[in-house]
Amino acid sequence: MAPPARLSNSIFGIFRATSFRPALLRKCRLYHSYEYSQPPPFSATASAILASAITHVPSYGFTSTALKLGAGDAGYLDVSTNLLPRGVFDLVNYHLIMQRLALKDNVQFPSASEQGTAKKLGIGAKVRTLTLARLRANEPIIHRWQEALAIMAQPSYVPTSLAELARLADEIWFLAGDTSVDTSWYTKRASLSAIYSATEIFMTQDTSKDFTETEQFLDARLEDVTRIGGFLGALGEWVDYTGHSAVNVLRSKGVRI
Amino acid sequence: MNIQTSKLLLRHQLLEGAKRRISREPYRCFSCSIRHAQHQSQPPKSPQDTPGTTHFGFEKVAEALKEQRVGAVFSSVASSYDTMNDLMSLGIHRLWKDHFVRNLNPGRNPLTSLSASERGWNILDIAGGTGDIAFRMLDHASTINNDAHTRVTVADINPDMLAEGKKRALATPYARSPRLKFVEANAEKLDMIPDSSVDLYTVAFGIRNFTHKDAAIREAYRVLKPGGVFACLEFSKVNNSVFDALYKRWSFGAIPLIGQLVAGDRDSYQYLVESIERFPSQTEFRDMIQEAGFLVPGQGWEDLTGGIAAVHKGVKPI
Ligand SMILES: C[S@@+](CC[C@H](N)C(=O)[O-])C[C@H]1O[C@@H](n2cnc3c(N)ncnc32)[C@H](O)[C@@H]1O
Repeated sequence: MAPPARLSNSIFGIFRATSFRPALLRKCRLYHSYEYSQPPPFSATASAILASAITHVPSYGFTSTALKLGAGDAGYLDVSTNLLPRGVFDLVNYHLIMQRLALKDNVQFPSASEQGTAKKLGIGAKVRTLTLARLRANEPIIHRWQEALAIMAQPSYVPTSLAELARLADEIWFLAGDTSVDTSWYTKRASLSAIYSATEIFMTQDTSKDFTETEQFLDARLEDVTRIGGFLGALGEWVDYTGHSAVNVLRSKGVRI
Repeated sequence: MNIQTSKLLLRHQLLEGAKRRISREPYRCFSCSIRHAQHQSQPPKSPQDTPGTTHFGFEKVAEALKEQRVGAVFSSVASSYDTMNDLMSLGIHRLWKDHFVRNLNPGRNPLTSLSASERGWNILDIAGGTGDIAFRMLDHASTINNDAHTRVTVADINPDMLAEGKKRALATPYARSPRLKFVEANAEKLDMIPDSSVDLYTVAFGIRNFTHKDAAIREAYRVLKPGGVFACLEFSKVNNSVFDALYKRWSFGAIPLIGQLVAGDRDSYQYLVESIERFPSQTEFRDMIQEAGFLVPGQGWEDLTGGIAAVHKGVKPI
């Protein structure tokens, strides 16, 4: 079954992110996927080793073994993994960054004109779709993700891990088309970060077919926030599809709406 | 209790402590003893050196002489070395060395080695005199990575230090194994080591004694395989100014005094603290490594204990 993210992609065509960002906010967020002029977070050699190492994660986990095998594939030696100052954490971090940057290609929303009037997808629904797509990107390595979480929880890596989580939340709001710069800016990102990490942990234990329980868990958390946090009310429902056909297609695919 | 007895008592306690450690710990040396540096001069005011001279501590000496003098330092293998080392770093240098080795993670796990031909790492430990780093490398490869093939060549300019290392090796499982070799060599001219033959080049508390550090780094680059790693553990610049002031006060004031007390050799330890002070800063040394052609991980170094020591690494590109 195709995940809903890909589905919406094929149904609605391509959404181009218009990059209206207030200059002040742009300054403090340098890692948006649209800002490709930024230097990549890893050097070319480090990227080559990490890209190969990632392919060994399903079999060997986020370990120095995966790194060494990756170095070998890239034409380097075992010892060359010393190029990664933080070792296996760099491997975890690489996965996080690459998947965050891939999000904008994995999920593309239709523009308002392409959509027509009947099928307007609200920001809340877009946030849900993007969050789900990012979670689904963990599928191939989900059986190794608890290892990764343990590495991220090491005291010296916590700040970087949290910063990356914040960047993901920011990226999701941005791709969903949220351009508001009011006081809810931080709350939105904080609550999405909390929801994302809770769901991610849930997913490591989810044995349901095609992670349907993870999807349900995510929806329940999003609803909690809508109910408790009045500040998000203005966004409308998280799943406010006005296009009935889209809703029905998603329902038939097992999405609980 | 008069001063004389308290001195004796202190000395007695230190030696006792040292003896206990010796039985458990192999020889450790990052302190350097010299009997020839008789007069200390002030730090030179101009950074411009007269051609043909180099630094011996803060003292300027002819280059040819430095090698000789550094040699003399390490020839006097004093029994007080261990005590001094522990005193000077408050015992921390053992942790630094452990960290240095663990972080390099030497050895190939046989379960994941793809080709049987490439078994183990070829490690070159320069200025490794006493084998301190070499034994740790072999232990790590064997116990952590189940690798019984990784081998270490210990190279040192000083035959007395090598003799000490061989003696200490007898207490390890590697004494007569092909995994451990000792060669007498100057780090600046490693003619007996072929090009592109080494996986890992290490130098711990040695490089500040070299007359031409840049030449040594270039030799490292030559002998390393593409993808091979240069790793250096050395005293460095403390990065917190308050801590720096305190540490300088301690090192310039207390260390030579303790040297006098324990080893009866104040000048030697004066040389030690001065040579540390003269060593390039973390960024300068990182730049030297990059200039030789190495790729550096992240910012290029890792500070240990607030910068009292630092680990610099470089990877030879493929
Ligand atoms: C302070 S000891 C370090 C020993 C050991 N690596 C450790 O960490 O305990 C410094 C060593 O550097 C060696 N050395 C000094 N100049 C050298 C050179 N140009 N080439 C090779 N070794 C040198 C000395 O002989 C001495 O054994």
